[in-house]
Amino acid sequence: MVGSRHWLMRHRFRRFWFWLSCLAYFAFAWVPLTSLPAAAQHSLWECPSSITRSEESEATPLSVSTPVAEFPGEGGGLTVFAAASLTDAFEAIESELESANPDLSITYSFGGSQALVTQLTEGAEADVFASANVAQMDAAIEAGLIAGDAATFARNRLTIVTPRDNPAGIESAADLGKEGTLLVLAQAEVPAGRYAREAVCRMASDTATYGSDFVRRVAANVVSEEEDVRDVLAKVTLGEADAGIVYVSDAAAAGEQVQVVDIPDEVNIIATYPIAVLAEGDQALGSAFVAYLLSDEGQAILERFGFQPVDQ
Amino acid sequence: MTAKSTGNPAIAAPARELRGAGMLSTESRVTASRPAADLVTGKVTGGTSSRASGLAVWALALLLLLFLAIPVGALVIRALGTGGAWDTETYEILRQALGLSLATTATTMAIVVTLGTPLAFLLARRRFPGAAAIEAIVDLPIVLPPAVAGIALLVAFGRNGLVGRWLAESGITVGFTTIAVVMAQVFVSAPFYVIAARGGFARVDADIEAAAADLGATPGQVFRTVTLPLVLPSLIAGAVLAWARALGEFGATIMFAGNFPGVTQTMPLAIYGRFGAGDMAAALLLSVVLLLASLLVLLGVRIAGGRMRDGV
Repeated sequence: MVGSRHWLMRHRFRRFWFWLSCLAYFAFAWVPLTSLPAAAQHSLWECPSSITRSEESEATPLSVSTPVAEFPGEGGGLTVFAAASLTDAFEAIESELESANPDLSITYSFGGSQALVTQLTEGAEADVFASANVAQMDAAIEAGLIAGDAATFARNRLTIVTPRDNPAGIESAADLGKEGTLLVLAQAEVPAGRYAREAVCRMASDTATYGSDFVRRVAANVVSEEEDVRDVLAKVTLGEADAGIVYVSDAAAAGEQVQVVDIPDEVNIIATYPIAVLAEGDQALGSAFVAYLLSDEGQAILERFGFQPVDQ
Repeated sequence: MTAKSTGNPAIAAPARELRGAGMLSTESRVTASRPAADLVTGKVTGGTSSRASGLAVWALALLLLLFLAIPVGALVIRALGTGGAWDTETYEILRQALGLSLATTATTMAIVVTLGTPLAFLLARRRFPGAAAIEAIVDLPIVLPPAVAGIALLVAFGRNGLVGRWLAESGITVGFTTIAVVMAQVFVSAPFYVIAARGGFARVDADIEAAAADLGATPGQVFRTVTLPLVLPSLIAGAVLAWARALGEFGATIMFAGNFPGVTQTMPLAIYGRFGAGDMAAALLLSVVLLLASLLVLLGVRIAGGRMRDGV
């Protein structure tokens, strides 16, 4: 049978010590449970004192001399590390590019921008990095991962999504503070999570519309902090959460599975997506991919998936 | 190699069975295990080819051992290198996550042992129709990938799930609560316990129990004084395996229970969260603490179970 010769089975246990250590373990393990508050301290996120505009700086638009992407004749394998919110748009771009260039094979690794930078810093091999915010791209540049300049290739804005039947009756952004709403956000360190908290801070400064104490009320509703924005969307499409804050592009990807509740422009955050070729990557293939994204064709695909195109 | 060092399977095989039942004396166990040891060290024939094959066995074993040890060693070395990560924020995350992990795994173990022992006993001792099917159901969660376990739990106990819908109507939602964490852990860890316990019960010689009953012991006394001492090592081995699996449970938890500090964020989720947040130093620190905690429990069990050879 399973493990019959395992060291655990070779000896008889000294009963006293065995039961004592069991007791000790259970006592030790359950003590913290009693000290855990029934509802955990919902750590208030810090709102900047003056909320005027997003501090997001623009990545310098890459001066692309030839907007038409020319892939090297022999093709080859291209590995792209991309923010989770780009999943559907980039997959559409993959099938477009691979049917146009039969020798080309694109591999994606999608994840939170933060995690991707960590993986790249730890030596993961890729040719292109597409981030959901400038801060992560700056981190990658600082780590010496990037060859040349980063280019802004898309913009995105936030929206509230609810399950199709909207069980909590979320009609407007102000309803996020309604007591008992199961709200799911991305964790504060990933761009989508930071923007969502920033947007709530902006709402809170408009007490006439959103009421007093808005940040505290919203924070108390947060039941899960997800690793990346796609996990937020999954919790909402499954109907486990009452509401989530995601990008417009994510809501577009979910289609009929979710209801969209708009976040007004004056409190919304515009996310900027920079892209760059990695220093260790294939420069020719990488820049061809970047050029394709910036071309009219690439921009049209991104727009189809809910992104806002960038002006050349 | 196999042709030369035949050992003596005719003796070894029944010896193994007896040893499994805890019936063999210490002396005969030592003699019975000698051929196996000689097989590894290549001492039986002493020829050049046998020495070479002996070396090959060592080399192959060493290769796997290195592969297992290097990542753990690297983890510890890197964590020691980033010793500055011990700030209040990391401490708070550690305190909540470790406390939650210990409390939930202790609860899981209590449930698994209480419900798993009777199930294992019935599977080992009673003949009933559909026993094979039930065994397959018990074994299944072991081979299920964590993501499948997560989805399965969601469609069963989620708000729109088979059972969850009915629970939600009566006002109970398990999603995003500590209960969901325990449910995920029980689902993935119980099979390890039940399989080991079933094996233990199956190996107990029914004649000894019958003898005790003939001497006037009640069924309860037989179980307490004869069966339990004989199966205890199996039960403990199973419980340790199940505990380890519950402690490491990640996929099903993050999908089914969500991720919130102090409520559903166990150690693996906290480590993954820190990694996703680009906070490698904290992720390393938490990993090493989890490593130490696991080591402590394994050593504790070993010390409680080891050194005791009298009376076997």
